[in-house]
Amino acid sequence: MIKEFEGRTEQEAIENAASALNIDREEFDVEILDVSRKSLFRKGNVKIKVYIDDNGSMADENPEAASDFEQKTVSYLEELIELMGYPGKVDIAFREEKKLGLTIVSDHSGILIGKKGKNLDAIQLILNVYAGQLENSKRVIVDAENYRNRHEETIIRQAARTADQVIKSKRSRLLEPMNPFERRLVHTSLNDIVDVETKSEGEGLYRQVRIIYKGSASS
Amino acid sequence: MEKDLVVYIAKSLVDDPEGVEVNIVEGEKSTILELRVSQEDIGKVIGKHGRIAKAMRTIISASATKTGKRIVLEILD
Repeated sequence: MIKEFEGRTEQEAIENAASALNIDREEFDVEILDVSRKSLFRKGNVKIKVYIDDNGSMADENPEAASDFEQKTVSYLEELIELMGYPGKVDIAFREEKKLGLTIVSDHSGILIGKKGKNLDAIQLILNVYAGQLENSKRVIVDAENYRNRHEETIIRQAARTADQVIKSKRSRLLEPMNPFERRLVHTSLNDIVDVETKSEGEGLYRQVRIIYKGSASS
Repeated sequence: MEKDLVVYIAKSLVDDPEGVEVNIVEGEKSTILELRVSQEDIGKVIGKHGRIAKAMRTIISASATKTGKRIVLEILD
């Protein structure tokens, strides 16, 4: 989660952030955005950007829907899964300026997630079309059982393992088809391994990442 | 019931909810749900490259796995 705060001094801005978010100074990172020094006619002003680790204590700051937009998307999603025959509760996982994270708590998470998250993605797409009518600039992310994070880790691990095999065998390998977000994850996670490069090939839904042996940088 | 599910989703996507209509055609092994919407809303339930139609079908088959019945969604115009 990212939020902006102001104060007359850097120290004051940080204190404002800590008290507004009700967390300790140690629990967030700060970036200074803008400093206008105190002058004769102006009060000094410091703008800071605060980064909070969403896995930390902030994760459940307020899982209940607060705004009208949150209320509507939460009850839409609850009704949708109820009609699917898999009732559950929907909590707010995180709030960002242009993103709202929802998480489904249900006894039926397995089926709601589906194979490779297929059902979760379909639900998220429909929910986003609905949410787009309410507030055009906001995206909604739907999760259950922390699937999205676990899935990201699986992809990064898989990419690293395949890169190892490529380096050993000196033969390129093709990963299974992935969506743009997943492919980007592979590209960026293998970016610092000098011995391999990554390229996407194929069309549309079937685009796959190929990991190619480049040879050791030293040789 | 999957029919209610289709009605719910379709009504939330279109401009003219009154124009949403779903007919059930029962078959032996599968059920066909025929979705009709107002002419100007057809694009809204199909989406670019059929993305929305595909998502609706995915949600319907996820829902149908609890009874084990095959349910086919057809969008009519």
